[in-house]
Amino acid sequence: MSTFSRRQMLSVIGASVAAPAVVRAQDTSPIKIGGMLPLSGPAAIEGAQVRKGYEFAVAEANARGGVFGRKIELVLEDDEGNATKGVNAVRKLIERDKVPFIIGTYPTAVCVAATKVAREYKVAMISGGSTAVAGTDANTVGDPWFFRPWTDSNGQGADTAKAIVHQFHGKKVAIIHDLTNYGVTLADQAAAIVPKEGSTIVAREGFNAGEKDFSTLLTRLRTLRPDVVYVAGWAGDGATIVRQAAEVGLRAQFIGSGSMLSDDFIKLAGPASEGFAVATLYEATTPNKVGRAFGERFKAVYKHEAGTLNSLGFDSTSIGIEAMRRVGRPDSAAIQQMIKGGMKDFPLVQGPDGTTAAFDDKGGVTFPMFIAIVKNGKRTLS
Amino acid sequence: MDLFLQYLANGIVVGSSYALVAVGLTLVFGILGVVNFAHGEFYMLGAYAGLTAITVFHVPLPVAVAAVIVVSALLGWGAEVILHGPLKNRDATSSIISSFGLAVVLQNAALIWIGPEPQLLQTSLSAIPVEIGPVFMPLQRLMLPIATAVLLVALHLVLRYTWTGRSLRAMAQHGTVARLCGVRIKRVAIVTFMVAAALAGVAGFLMSSVYMVHPLIGNMIVLKAFTVVILGGMGQIGGAAAAGILLGITESMTSAYLDNGLRDIVGFVIVIVVLLVRPNGLFGRKADRS
Repeated sequence: MSTFSRRQMLSVIGASVAAPAVVRAQDTSPIKIGGMLPLSGPAAIEGAQVRKGYEFAVAEANARGGVFGRKIELVLEDDEGNATKGVNAVRKLIERDKVPFIIGTYPTAVCVAATKVAREYKVAMISGGSTAVAGTDANTVGDPWFFRPWTDSNGQGADTAKAIVHQFHGKKVAIIHDLTNYGVTLADQAAAIVPKEGSTIVAREGFNAGEKDFSTLLTRLRTLRPDVVYVAGWAGDGATIVRQAAEVGLRAQFIGSGSMLSDDFIKLAGPASEGFAVATLYEATTPNKVGRAFGERFKAVYKHEAGTLNSLGFDSTSIGIEAMRRVGRPDSAAIQQMIKGGMKDFPLVQGPDGTTAAFDDKGGVTFPMFIAIVKNGKRTLS
Repeated sequence: MDLFLQYLANGIVVGSSYALVAVGLTLVFGILGVVNFAHGEFYMLGAYAGLTAITVFHVPLPVAVAAVIVVSALLGWGAEVILHGPLKNRDATSSIISSFGLAVVLQNAALIWIGPEPQLLQTSLSAIPVEIGPVFMPLQRLMLPIATAVLLVALHLVLRYTWTGRSLRAMAQHGTVARLCGVRIKRVAIVTFMVAAALAGVAGFLMSSVYMVHPLIGNMIVLKAFTVVILGGMGQIGGAAAAGILLGITESMTSAYLDNGLRDIVGFVIVIVVLLVRPNGLFGRKADRS
């Protein structure tokens, strides 16, 4: 009955001895994780900043020895802020690089399109800056595949609207917003809440993201004499608007949307950025102890203060890596389960002291925002 | 009324940049029959050439303009070698498609080597306000229509009174006959591309102090320029200049009296209507190309 020759027998024994060694040798290869951002196009400023947060989190995790003895390698795809390119990027990351989770991306419309595909592959996505409520609204309640570890645009719109009325005493408020999902939802929220708090909206105007000339629009707004102008959109456009408003002589308190304020913004908008305010998730002077420590470590490496976008990129990436470490293997479905329910003790650098990655059943985290103001060319918390 | 004049002035400023870009585009089309989608990249690279000259090499403004013209003209020469030289006897679609390719290559090259972050040229001119009656604007904005006017008049004089200009016009009228009369076609083609690219490059540089510069700015401006070229009549230089200013004013008025969100739509709607009603453009002459 014995059909094995001696040579075959030896080779089987030899293989069984060698195989674990082979597997172990593969084990030390780096684990790839997926990142997706607009690195070019109208949201490139934001993309470049979120990217630093990703890379910083990966570098710190690797400095601690990686996960289960393997280094982490970030594979980054540029979606250009374009939904088609975003969907391609997700497919590429999952099929070619076999990533267990993806951090990304910035524009919400791209997130919604991309998550649809990622969910089919059972791969979780953690926001790379997308804040519009549509991102988590697209999730099935109780089984989210898109996670946003910070307050959504409704929360941001509400916090900003209250600050406009009470902190900046805006009686006559003008709203300018870009026509992306993010800009429109923020404007809707502010337009709903400002009147309830007792002030009036004197104008509401949309523009296409990436528009370069706002002088006519701003000249017209000047005639309406608003106390506060709320600009909801991306940083590049915000900087252009603030600069051109000074050129046409529109003097008002300018308030921007969440992620607009950064050192790049102050540089691009120039002296016109003085007094500019935003509702923000993070500032380097945050009272959040974990956030403060992150800010110091970040500054030591990048030689500039960490901003909202650096911090949220860092949080999203850290959550993904930590969830993978807790699961113990790069298993994408298990990682989604872990992010959903197992991270309630994991501290975030954003938000007030003690904020943790306690996701609700739609995949969001809620906490009150800070108001940051530019004073003497520097960002400060009010 | 005061505001109307201000809106008008804003429109003329934006429109003159459209005119400057569109004139180069229409020149290349009118003389060589090449539809160049990479024209917006001449604009973008011209802006970067000027930014580099000023921020890295700290040269004064006129030297920077000269640098922009030289760099753009060289680019134009290169584009002729790629888009026109080897393809001129092929189907027109060959050069259209290769110009698309060139646009993608130049954009991505800029993304890789320069990076995606928007930049802005800070000059001392931005702080100087100019008031003409009820119209108010910073000096650097006012420079745009002035520079456009100067360049277009210069272009007109060259085309009208120089030997080169005459051979360019001869080419535009009839290539074969021009060659029979002794016009050196190869030289004309190169000069056309160089002039077109230089105009676009200077426009890009002038705009870099008013609007931000990033590798993808060429996309929208080339679409606007095509709108302008179609409105002005393909190949009509005066038509392109007038239509450019007109488009700028229309956009400004749309933003002022209708809805700012409509301003990019308006131009394209007008193009569709004009093509339906006046297929040769607003200023186009009916002509049979033999």
